[in-house]
Amino acid sequence: MAKQVGADRLGDFYKEGSRVRKRREWRGLVDTMYDYSRWLGIMMTLGKFVMKPRNVKAMFRYRWMANYLAVPMMVDRHTQGLRGEYLRICHEEQDLVIKDVANLLDSLFRGDRRIGNDKKFSDKVVLVDENEMTAVMMGFPTLKCLSRETPSTYVSVLLNQRAACHYIDVAQEFGLAGDVCPMPEAEAGVSIDDDAPILGACAIQCNTTCDGSLLGNGVISQRLEHEDGIPVFQLAAPLRHREDDVQEYAAQEIRNAIAFIEKHTGVKWDWGAYFECAKRVNYATKCRLEWLEMNRTPYPQVFGSNLALYTETNYMAICGRIAAFEKADTKITKLARQAYAKKKMAAKEYRHRAIVWGVQSHYYMDFLVWLLNCWGIVPLTDMLSMVSTKELVTEDTPENREQAIYDMAWLTENMIMRNRTHGGYKVLLDELWEFVEMFNADMVILWEHMSCKALDGMHGLFEEKAREKGIPLVWVSHDLFDPRIISRQGVRDQINSFMRTVMQEEPIDPSLEILPDDQSW
Amino acid sequence: MSIFLHVLKIIVIVIAILFGVTFTVYIFNLDMKLTAAIEPWLLKHYDKIDRDQHL
Amino acid sequence: MKDLKNLIFFENLLLEANNELIQKAQSEGKICACYTCENTPEVLLNLDGCFSARLRAPRTGSLDISTYYMTSFLCEYSRALLERAIEGGYNFADCIITPDGCSMMNRCIENMELLEAVGKGKDNFFFEYMEIPMKADDNGLNLYVLQCKNHILKPLSEKYGIDTSDAAIRKAVKEHNHICELIRAIGDYRKEDNPRITGYEFNVITLATYVAPKYLIADKLEETLEELKTREPYEKGKFRARVMVVGSEVDDTDFVKLIEDSGAYVCADRFCYGSLPGRNPIILNDEEDALTQICRQYMNRGECPRFMNTQKMDHRRIYVDELAKEYKADGIIYEQMKFCDPWAYEKMMGSQILRNKYGYPVLAVDRPYSIGTSGQMQTRVQAFVESIEIKKIQRGDANG
Repeated sequence: MAKQVGADRLGDFYKEGSRVRKRREWRGLVDTMYDYSRWLGIMMTLGKFVMKPRNVKAMFRYRWMANYLAVPMMVDRHTQGLRGEYLRICHEEQDLVIKDVANLLDSLFRGDRRIGNDKKFSDKVVLVDENEMTAVMMGFPTLKCLSRETPSTYVSVLLNQRAACHYIDVAQEFGLAGDVCPMPEAEAGVSIDDDAPILGACAIQCNTTCDGSLLGNGVISQRLEHEDGIPVFQLAAPLRHREDDVQEYAAQEIRNAIAFIEKHTGVKWDWGAYFECAKRVNYATKCRLEWLEMNRTPYPQVFGSNLALYTETNYMAICGRIAAFEKADTKITKLARQAYAKKKMAAKEYRHRAIVWGVQSHYYMDFLVWLLNCWGIVPLTDMLSMVSTKELVTEDTPENREQAIYDMAWLTENMIMRNRTHGGYKVLLDELWEFVEMFNADMVILWEHMSCKALDGMHGLFEEKAREKGIPLVWVSHDLFDPRIISRQGVRDQINSFMRTVMQEEPIDPSLEILPDDQSW
Repeated sequence: MSIFLHVLKIIVIVIAILFGVTFTVYIFNLDMKLTAAIEPWLLKHYDKIDRDQHL
Repeated sequence: MKDLKNLIFFENLLLEANNELIQKAQSEGKICACYTCENTPEVLLNLDGCFSARLRAPRTGSLDISTYYMTSFLCEYSRALLERAIEGGYNFADCIITPDGCSMMNRCIENMELLEAVGKGKDNFFFEYMEIPMKADDNGLNLYVLQCKNHILKPLSEKYGIDTSDAAIRKAVKEHNHICELIRAIGDYRKEDNPRITGYEFNVITLATYVAPKYLIADKLEETLEELKTREPYEKGKFRARVMVVGSEVDDTDFVKLIEDSGAYVCADRFCYGSLPGRNPIILNDEEDALTQICRQYMNRGECPRFMNTQKMDHRRIYVDELAKEYKADGIIYEQMKFCDPWAYEKMMGSQILRNKYGYPVLAVDRPYSIGTSGQMQTRVQAFVESIEIKKIQRGDANG
C-alpha cells in the first residue's frame, strides 16, 4: 500500500482458485484517485453499452460475450505496479481500446440478423478478418469496417484466458487437427458453433499471418458465402513481401478489393478521406518511432504491453481511420516526454534490457508487466511492434493516387506478425540481431508459440545465432490461445528457471514468482 | 439562500455516498467479484441454446 | 496376377534420392534441378540440358538434427528433407527451386541454405524462392509468369546456359506430355471393375516419374503400358472395396500398399505426388507464348489447399466427387501428414463435405512421413472397409 514504485508485493493480491484478485492496488492518493476515475469511466462505457436492449439480447445469445464481464480486470492486469506517467499511458491506451471495442460490438449487434437486424445499416458494413490490415477501408469513410473475430476471439482471450477453449474443442470435434494454431482454429470454431453475428454487404478476407490463418478463413467463408449469402473477396497479399517482383501483384489485389467493395456496397472510393487517414497513419508512425527512440536509452517510456497492445490496435485495426487515436498518440507522446525528461522508471530496478521476439502468448498478455515487476527485465520492444515505418504519401495528386495503391499494398503485406512470419529468414532471424544492437539489449526473450510453424522452423538457427553473439536467449513456450497446453505459471516457470539457474539471480518481487492464477480470468 | 445551501448539502451528501460506495466497490474489487459469480450461470445458459453446428 | 516386368526397376529408383538415372543423366552433363512443391512448374525444369527431380527422403530414420533446427511441430516431410540434406544426401542437386507453398517447406529450404547443407563444391549452385499465386485469376497469372521468369528461367539460363526460349519450352512440354499420357493410359486401367494394375504398382510408377529424368524412363513406361494390355488381373474378390486417396504429400509407397493389404483397392490418387491432377498433359496453342499457357494451366488445375478463393476451394471437393465417380470409388480416404496446416483444414472440410453433401463414406486420417507397417493405420482402414461393406449390404437390402 504505497505511493512508491515497487513497494507492494504484487503477488499478494492473488487468491488461490479465484477468478479475480482480492482487491485493487493502493498507489498513493493521487494515482489511486486517477485509477479510480478511469475505472469509473470504464464502468460508464460498459453501462452505456448495456443500456441498449439489443446488446443485452446479444449477451444472452453469444457465448463469447460472457468474457466481457472481465473488462475492468483486463485493465487491472496491465496496470499492475504502475505509477505516474506509466499508469496514465496505460489508461490512455486501454480505455480507448475498450471504447473502440464497445462501439464495434454495438455496431455488430445493430446489423446482426439475429439481434438488431437493421438491414440498412448492415448494407453499409464490410466485414474484415481479425488480424487484417484495414488499409483498404481508408477511402470508405461512410462504410463500417467491422471484424467479427476481433470481439469473439481476439479480445475475448485478452479478457479471459480460457475464452477460446470451447471453440477450439468445437473445431476439433469436427475433425480439425489439434496441432494447428489455436487462433484461426478458435475463429473457425466460432463459425462452426453458429456463434458469429450475421451481417454485412460483403467481406474481405486476407491471407494474414500464416497457413492456418489462410485456411481458417476457408471455414468461415463456407458459411458466410454459401449460407448467409454474403459475398467474400479473398485478398491475397504476397508472402515474399520484401521482393520487388511481387509489389505489382500486391497493388492489383488492392485495386481489385476496392472494386469489389464498390460493387457490393454501391459506395465510391473517396481519395480525400484516404489521404486524411494516411496523414494520421504517418503521425502514428512518427509517435511510435519517437517512443522506440526513447526505448534505446536507459529510460524507456512506452514499452511492454503498453507498446504491444496499442500498436496492434492502432496500426492495423484503426489504420488512421479513427481520429480519437491521433489524440491518444499525442497524449501518450506528451506523457512519455514528461517522464523521460524526469528520467523516470516504471519499476524500482532495471536489471536487463530485453527484446521480446516471436508471437506472444495471448492468454498471458500481461506477462511483459510481470517480467518487469518480478525480474526487472525491461521488454524494450517486441516483434509485433516492429512494423512498417514507411511514410505514406499524403498529398492528393494523380501520381500520389497511384503510389497510394502501393502504400496500401505495402501496409497489407506488412501486417503485424505477418511482416516477420512471412518474407524469408531475413525479416525473422537476421533483423532480430539488428534490433538487439540498436536497442542495446542484453537479453532476448523468445516466445515459442508451439503451433506457429514459421517460427518453430527457425528454432535451431535462433539458438546458434544467440550463442555466436553471446546474448542470453530464453525460450518461452506457449500455445497462444490455449492455457490448457501450457499454463500461465508454466510460462513463468520457464523464465524463473532461466533466471535462477543460468543468470543466478533472485527476483525483485519474490511474491510474483509463483502465482495462483490458474483459475483466474 | 438556505434552500440553495440545503440543495448543495444534499448534493454533497449524495456525491459523498456515491463516492463512498463506488470507491469501496473499486478498491475491494467487488465489481469483479460480482461478475465472477454471474459467469457460471451464464455459461450454463449458453449450453442450453440450440445451435446449428456445422461447417 | 503376374509381376510387372519393370516394377523392381521402378521400385529401385525410389530407394535413393540420388537414384541411378539421376547419376546417369548427370554423367551425360545434364543439370539436376531439384524442387519440393507441386506448385513449381516441373516442365520448366526439364528444358534441354537439365532435368527435374522432386526431393524425397526415402528410408528416413532418425530426425534428431532437423528436429533440433525446426522442432517437432513441423511436418515430417520438411524435417526429413532437412535431415537428409544435412547428411549430405542432396549433394547431387545443382540448384533447388521452391515456392513459399507452405511455411514449413519454406523454412526447410531456408535452413538448408543457412546451414550450407547443399551445393558444396558447386560454384553455380543456387537456391530460388518463388511467390506462387493463391488465387486463380489474371493477376495471379501475371505473378506466376513473372516469378517463373525471374526464379526459374533466368537463373537456369544465367548460371547454366540453359536455352529458355519459347521453342525450348514447347519441346519440354511435348516430352512432359508424353510421360503424362503414358501415366494416364496406365492409370486408366484402374477404372476397370477388376483392374489389371494395383494401386501400389501405379503409385510406384507415378512416383518414379517425379524423381527420375523423364527421357530416361519413357521407354520403361511404354513397355509397361504394352505389358498391361494383355495382363491378366487377379481373380475377383481380392479387394473388398475401392477407395480414392485424397490429401497431402505422399511419397511413401508403403502407405498405398498398407491400404491395399487391408482390403481396399486404391483406384485414384488425388494427392500431392499423385497423378491426379499432377500428370495432366499441358495443352498448348500457337497463339500465346508457352510460358503463360503453362502457368495458366498449373494455376487452374492446382488442387493445393493454399488456393484461397471460394471457387477454388469449392472445386477441390467437386473434383474429388468427379474423380470418385470416374474411378468408381466406394469410399474416400482423406489423409494428411501430421502437422501439415493446409491439409489439416482441407481434410476437415473435405471429409465433412464429401460425407454430408455428397454422401460418400469417408475416412480421415493423419499419418507420419514414413508409415512402414503401422498396425494402427491398418486397423482403421480395415474398419473403414468393413463399414463400406456393411453400407453396401444395407443398400442392397433397401433396394430389394
